[in-house]
Amino acid sequence: MDFIKDILTFLANNVFGQVPILIGLITLAGLLLQRKRFEDVLAGALRATIGVVILFIGVEIFTGGLTSFQTVLASAMGTDPPKAEHTLTDFFQEQGGTIALVITVAFLAHVLIVRLFPAAHYLYLTGHLMFWISTVTVASLVLLAPGADQLTLVLCGAGFVAAYWTLQPIWMRPLMRRVMPDDRFGFAHTSSLAALATGVLAKPLGDRDKHDTEKLKLPRQLSFFKDVNVSTALVISVIMLLGIAFADDGVVNKLAAEMDDKLSPWVWGLMVGLRFAGGIAILLYGVRMFLGEIVPAFKGFSDRVIPGTRPALDAPTVFPVAPTAVMVGFVSSTVVFLACLGIFAAAGWFTLAPPMIMLFFVGGAAAVFGNAVAGWRGALLGGVLSGLILAIGQAVTWGLYEKTAPELATLADPDWYAIAWLLKATDPVIGGAGVWAVPVVALGATVATLFILGRKEKARSEEEPAAAEQEPAAERA
Amino acid sequence: MDRPLEILAVCGVGMGSSLMLKMTAEDALRALGVEARVENTDISSARGMTPDVIIGQGMHTSEIEDLAPVVITVSDFLDKDGLEVQLRERLTEKGWLR
Repeated sequence: MDFIKDILTFLANNVFGQVPILIGLITLAGLLLQRKRFEDVLAGALRATIGVVILFIGVEIFTGGLTSFQTVLASAMGTDPPKAEHTLTDFFQEQGGTIALVITVAFLAHVLIVRLFPAAHYLYLTGHLMFWISTVTVASLVLLAPGADQLTLVLCGAGFVAAYWTLQPIWMRPLMRRVMPDDRFGFAHTSSLAALATGVLAKPLGDRDKHDTEKLKLPRQLSFFKDVNVSTALVISVIMLLGIAFADDGVVNKLAAEMDDKLSPWVWGLMVGLRFAGGIAILLYGVRMFLGEIVPAFKGFSDRVIPGTRPALDAPTVFPVAPTAVMVGFVSSTVVFLACLGIFAAAGWFTLAPPMIMLFFVGGAAAVFGNAVAGWRGALLGGVLSGLILAIGQAVTWGLYEKTAPELATLADPDWYAIAWLLKATDPVIGGAGVWAVPVVALGATVATLFILGRKEKARSEEEPAAAEQEPAAERA
Repeated sequence: MDRPLEILAVCGVGMGSSLMLKMTAEDALRALGVEARVENTDISSARGMTPDVIIGQGMHTSEIEDLAPVVITVSDFLDKDGLEVQLRERLTEKGWLR
């Protein structure tokens, strides 16, 4: 028996615990299932594996830049930088394998749910968010059930994540119908709760036909800001330089000397901003590389199991509807976030790090939906709400993940914060072995929702089959 | 053209919507019988590349109009037929499609 145990331990440590290898194997299986040519299978699996390695390198550079940024800013404001007992890098080393398995098992469960319940409508296909939502969920479960083994974490995480992937496009459906009347695809992005709040709160603010953002003209100079590499480097560097001007010289000089002792602190500050942006660019490059293999493999699989299902897609797929609204949302969320950064720091509460990518996509998406409801005032509301949610979310969630992966708080979208706090709220109720309640309740709620929706839709199509069909076309006209 | 076409799908960070666009483009190209290699990336990285064709939404393509001989703007990332029509027209123009 020892022999079998040795093999299992070897697999746990060297395969299920090593994300690059695990992701490579999952991709390999996906490509083989699609009956790709041998060289494509091999190259695809290797690309996915290298992608994960690159992602980890990016995370390390990014977290290094983040720490310097927070330390200098905190010193400038006379407060303490956010504490981190653990880093995202450590967390990926320890739980990366669990995350990769959660993605895979959750996707299979999600496909099964969509196959069983027509009311689910959409298949969640936003690959990078499938990765990050699994990461956030595992980070929360580890806190809920500290001693849980990998199998428990994978099954509990996957159940919860599959429920989220199924329900999120459904709760965005009414708003999506306003933006994309033909309903050919759903919305799969973790900005959904900010967008939903905007959609509800914007109603009294105006009227799309009268106040459409697309009638506005924005200054052309704003457009270079859309390149998230440029805006990240610029915003972080400028704040770094301001921070250095007010920070304790001792703190700055010590940090600068760690990079290069001949370096001027000012140039060091600039370098930190550039490395921060560079780290994020590397991280994204790695994610892109493994997603480029995994998502088509997942899609190939689901096309076979549930042919013709509508996909739910990433936020920018709605951006062509109202590009000006996107810019209104991005700029207003950034302004609000930077204002919060100043206020929170002055109050000695928390040193925020501006997440330019999230400000762009969350602010942009919320604004597109806000515009669809109430024109430019709605778009503006979307941006402002996004900026507030991202600022407050980062400030309160950092501490929650202090022992797992605090940097997640700076990379997060509104739904991540909601999931983090939802799972945290269950802590006193369940805890320990009760962690199984998480997937059970989540999946139970999903099935109940789909059952009710299914009956409603069936009743509606029986009552007025013609009207149900014509509705989208009429809205469009 | 005596080699496969190099095609680049772009979006803001090059992960979500450009990947969808890449898959749509692959389907459209297969329907046209064009041999091509499609990649997806972000708008920054695209500037360092030399593809034959770039596909993206107007927000991005308006900034990189001269980066490739053919730049195609789409507003629907899943519209395979629409993309096929655009590709047929533009590739025929260049003599890349017989």
